[in-house]
Amino acid sequence: MSIRAAVELSDWELVQRCQAGEIEAFQELVARYHHKVFVVILGILNHREDAQEVAQETFFRAYKKIRGFRGGSAFYTWLYRIAVNLSIDFQRRQKRNPMEFRESLDDVAERQEESGRDPFQNLQDKEIGKRLLAAIKELTPDHRAVIVMRAVEGLSYKDISRILGCSEGTVMSRLHYARKKLQEKLGPFL
Amino acid sequence: MKTQCEEIEKLIGAFLDQELSQFEAERVQSHMQGCPVCSKEKEELEHLHGSLKGLFEARASGLAFEPFWREVHRRISEQKPWYVDLWDGFRLNFHSPRLTWTIPVVIAVLLAVLSLEQFVPGWGLMPHRNNVAAVESIDSHGLNVAVLRESKTKTTVIWLFQSQEGEDESSEEPSSSDNTF
Repeated sequence: MSIRAAVELSDWELVQRCQAGEIEAFQELVARYHHKVFVVILGILNHREDAQEVAQETFFRAYKKIRGFRGGSAFYTWLYRIAVNLSIDFQRRQKRNPMEFRESLDDVAERQEESGRDPFQNLQDKEIGKRLLAAIKELTPDHRAVIVMRAVEGLSYKDISRILGCSEGTVMSRLHYARKKLQEKLGPFL
Repeated sequence: MKTQCEEIEKLIGAFLDQELSQFEAERVQSHMQGCPVCSKEKEELEHLHGSLKGLFEARASGLAFEPFWREVHRRISEQKPWYVDLWDGFRLNFHSPRLTWTIPVVIAVLLAVLSLEQFVPGWGLMPHRNNVAAVESIDSHGLNVAVLRESKTKTTVIWLFQSQEGEDESSEEPSSSDNTF
């Protein structure tokens, strides 16, 4: 029986199977989380190819360390922590400008059109998208990380604090700061 | 003094995230009902939240699972030398923010260990120099003799001679007239 066919196995059950050496169980965990991990890393790195590379490395590291995972926290918290650490490490090693956005809003629109979805369906217009991208560009990786984990993944402050290794108060203040900065940049478009 | 709006404004984000206690949430809610400025702030944040979600989802779309998994699987199948793993682990755990406090701590610990000998003799890393005599004084007393008082209980007397004859260990103490020291 394939893991895909085994309906609704919990993350912990899949982890235990991985620890027993079942690679298919790990494949299922990758299928569950690859997109979420990719979004978070993309939010920090702002470069699609780099983000994909770091996301793949995240799962590789997770597989290597999975025998040491005892279930003290949720699997995704543990996984995101690896992803965030790797992203920050990657950005540090990259000598190229980490703040540089190498993906325009038009690239995003094009990809959306290719996939047959309405581009920027949640954005009021392209102008907001452009301004938002420019504003995110000016945030630090830490602020981008909290914004993307909260806005897209909807993680709780507690989970974000565990992932980033800081207090919930720090998460709250980083979110407040990042939102204020974005609000300032978007100005009358909000 | 902070106005109530300034205080509430800082809590609106957490209010929308449902991260406030019931008491705080009620306080924010009741303030916003009577305050158009804070109410507008809430609407702006809601709009911002929706825009962010849409933007990130748009940027991350189109990631195919199969090629992604193939690359992860290739890395898993490929064995890396142990020193590569060791270096990766070091790099990940000791990046610059952590080194900013690690380096001073290591220096402080080294200095403490090296100075331990001063406070607890025999515990330091410095070599124990038992064989070095501390000469308290040299007194010739007008004779060819040097008296080394190394401590309260240990005194070494060194006889000094100019001539070959005087170097005989069994010789008597030199006369007081031989005042060459």
